[in-house]
Amino acid sequence: MSIRLFLMGLIFLSSARLIFLSSAQAADQTLTLGVFPRFSASDTTKRYSPLAEHLATRLGVQITLSTSRDFQSFWRALMELRYDIVQYNQYHYIRSSRNYQVIAHNKEFGKSTIAGVLYVRKDSGITDLKQLKGARVLFGGGEDAMISYIAPMYMLLQAGLSKHDFQSQFAVTPMNSVIGVYHRQAEAAGSGDMVIDQPAIKNAINPEELTVLAVSEQVLHLPWAVRRTMPAQLREAIQAALVDLENSESGREVLKAALLSGIGKAQDRDYDAARKMVRAVLNAH
Amino acid sequence: MRLGLGSKFALTVLVILVATMSANTFYFLRTSAQSQEQQLIDRGRALGRLISLVSPEAILGYDYLLLNDYTREVALQRDVVYAVIVTAEGAPISASMEGAGPGLRQRLRAAGTSHILEALEQVRRDPDLIGLEFPIAHNGAHLGRFLVGLSRESVRKELRMQLMIQAMIVVAIVLFLSGAIYAVFRFNVLSPVRKLIAASRHVARGEYVTVDVKSSDEFGLLARAFNAMAAEVKEEQAKLHRQANFDTLTGLPNRMMAFDRITQEIRRAQRTHGRFAVYFIDLDNFKHVNDSLGHAAGDELLVTIGRRLQTALRASDTVARLGGDEFLVLAPEITDELQVQGIADRLLAAVAEPIELSGRRIVAHCSVGIALFPDSGDSVETLMVNADEAMYQAKSAQHGTAIFFTEEMNVRLRERMRLEQDLEKAIERGELALHFQPIVVATTEAHHGAEVLLRWQHPERGFVEPSIFVPLAEASGEILKIGDWVLEQACRLWASWRAAGIDAGVLAVNVSRVQFRKRLSVRLAELLAQYDMPARMLELEITESVVLDDHVEVVEELARLRGMGIRLSLDDFGTGYSSLSYLKRFRFDVLKIDRSFVAGVPDSPDDVSVVNAIFAMARGLDLKVVAEGVERRSQLDFIRAHRCDFAQGWLFSKALDEASYKTYLEGAKAGLRGSRLAKEANA
Repeated sequence: MSIRLFLMGLIFLSSARLIFLSSAQAADQTLTLGVFPRFSASDTTKRYSPLAEHLATRLGVQITLSTSRDFQSFWRALMELRYDIVQYNQYHYIRSSRNYQVIAHNKEFGKSTIAGVLYVRKDSGITDLKQLKGARVLFGGGEDAMISYIAPMYMLLQAGLSKHDFQSQFAVTPMNSVIGVYHRQAEAAGSGDMVIDQPAIKNAINPEELTVLAVSEQVLHLPWAVRRTMPAQLREAIQAALVDLENSESGREVLKAALLSGIGKAQDRDYDAARKMVRAVLNAH
Repeated sequence: MRLGLGSKFALTVLVILVATMSANTFYFLRTSAQSQEQQLIDRGRALGRLISLVSPEAILGYDYLLLNDYTREVALQRDVVYAVIVTAEGAPISASMEGAGPGLRQRLRAAGTSHILEALEQVRRDPDLIGLEFPIAHNGAHLGRFLVGLSRESVRKELRMQLMIQAMIVVAIVLFLSGAIYAVFRFNVLSPVRKLIAASRHVARGEYVTVDVKSSDEFGLLARAFNAMAAEVKEEQAKLHRQANFDTLTGLPNRMMAFDRITQEIRRAQRTHGRFAVYFIDLDNFKHVNDSLGHAAGDELLVTIGRRLQTALRASDTVARLGGDEFLVLAPEITDELQVQGIADRLLAAVAEPIELSGRRIVAHCSVGIALFPDSGDSVETLMVNADEAMYQAKSAQHGTAIFFTEEMNVRLRERMRLEQDLEKAIERGELALHFQPIVVATTEAHHGAEVLLRWQHPERGFVEPSIFVPLAEASGEILKIGDWVLEQACRLWASWRAAGIDAGVLAVNVSRVQFRKRLSVRLAELLAQYDMPARMLELEITESVVLDDHVEVVEELARLRGMGIRLSLDDFGTGYSSLSYLKRFRFDVLKIDRSFVAGVPDSPDDVSVVNAIFAMARGLDLKVVAEGVERRSQLDFIRAHRCDFAQGWLFSKALDEASYKTYLEGAKAGLRGSRLAKEANA
């Protein structure tokens, strides 16, 4: 009994020491939160600083928010594993999943998933993907844009077209691709399914003049990932901190600042659909 | 509407200022508008160049949202109506019309980006819009165009504001300058002019004022000239006043001022219920003084008498000279007749004091007529007439007497006035008639002619003596009309008798002294010509009173008459002054011895002496002599003995009316003579 009590006491002391040590270590630890350049660096800082502060408070660590000038520099930093926590698109995750593990996903406009869409003008006469052969297709973002490029391209490939059957053009953002088609700068626009409902689009064009030509499979929204080397306890604590945001008033304010309606849990297999599309498109290149 | 000098000047200044300021404002606003429009265009160009510079990146990157930001930002600029970016192919890819007005914005939005160019084409025709276009290029490649529309509205608004401000400034300046210029004009021009006008009005009213001269400019000179003129006028006025109101010889008030004083005294007496006396004074035999001692002595006498009258009276009394030898005294505040008589006695005594004239001591006398207010009349005219009447009575009563105007005189005066009124209508009523008293050759009793006598048959009074109505006619001036009528009738009858083959002989017509003053010769020339009567057949009988006047006009008129061939006869010779100097100075053809002398011959030695003297004098002066009033054969014999030329009187015939005289003439033609002839005519 005494041994047993001794062992229990020893275990308790060890645990207490571990907890104490871990807390002390956490207070000294600094985590880097990287956010892909979906917005400008200043906008990113403005929108994600509350979230970084929230995480720092919840985790008891220092959080450094890291922004990137462009996707290249972001990707370079990602490849160099400079981020402990990262928010990026599905393609980025799939390409970096060897080093990063997804723990959560965005909920935007109340939805956890998003689909790629090909828009055309109603008056274009195009009703089938095959009709885009020889046409100009304006994609939003670059070739690493999951929803605006990879998903639409996947649909085009699935329709039997090769990347040489149409002229690929790239707008700065998904919204610009839709506006470009509206202005007849291209015959089709690759973009997200929620883009057309954005207030910026409604202010710039008359969406009634556009129509959806094709919609891709729904894929889970933008992923949150941490380095795979991160202790599970910390990873879980981060996941919990993110997911819990929508449960408190202050958390919802943080989400609102980041233009998010919530953050849900996610695991690697949730992005298989996206992975399938990425592989197909990359193979087509 | 009559504008004053000040109003005209103010209006002129106002018009000039308004015109000048308006032109200046117009030029300023026009320049300002051009400058503002240029600034607007420059601003549009700056925006256009900027967008052209930054938009290629967005176009190449299909960054329509950024392009939208650009166009929106441009459109939000002041005065920008729209901003549009079109591609090289002409497709609009970004448009913003934030700056457009509600109407225009609605039109452009309705067109949508796709049809924005068509809509802009219409909008560009708006004169308020300036459309600018800028090419967008990158590395030599044409990417599109940037269209920006600028509104002139703010320029126009600014212009309207400036116009309003400028108008207010112009109004303020115009009012200020007009007011200031008018004030200067008023002070420097109007004020002196008004002073001169006021002074002129004073001068016109006879109040001689001078204008205060402060400046040495033209107005100062004008004011000095005005003052000099006013002083001159004042002096002339005073001279005229003296001449108009004072007798130049004696310095006493004249008739006009005497009347004025009496008028004032009447008013005062009516207010105070007082009495006053008017004395009408006429010197006795003044003409004699003039004739015997000369006019200078006569004037000296008048001056002395005037001075004495003043000395004899109270300070409140007025002595005036009415003319000739007539004086008037106004004695106010009279209590009773006794006081009036006392003043009259003093006047008589003052005149009667001996006076030394031309070395001769003479004693003058006067006759005084007195009229009392209100007893003898309540108007100037009545008082003067009544005082004159009283004086007339005093003169006929006894020299050196003062007589009050009485009721009896009043009755007589009224009678005379009525007679005067009747006489005025006598010709029209046919009450006047010519009678003819034949004149015969004294030695042969052959017919020579007749004296024309005027007879007035009054409808109520019957025959009125010429000695009564002729003086009345002379006093009223009616004698001119009557005398003219007599002359015309005489000429007319003479012509009618001659036409009947009857020799009427010479007609001797009496003419008054008054007629001589009205160019008698002219009228007679007309009549003689009208009736073709030889001048020598007309003889004018004039009394000594005519030549006594000794006026230049009378002398000249007599000479003219003689020149025409008309015979001149001096009537009633011997009854008046019978001055030989007259006979010498004036040329007469005939001398008529008054009947009063003829009546005494040959029995009265005195009359015989006088008549003999007259005959001798007439012969000496080569004058024909007519003896009047020959009634007895002895008289005829006497005058025949003294070689008298002609005789006239009842011995031959009394005065005959027109018809009787015609019969008389027919008898004369038949050879009858003297009294027989008259008997035939009277029969």
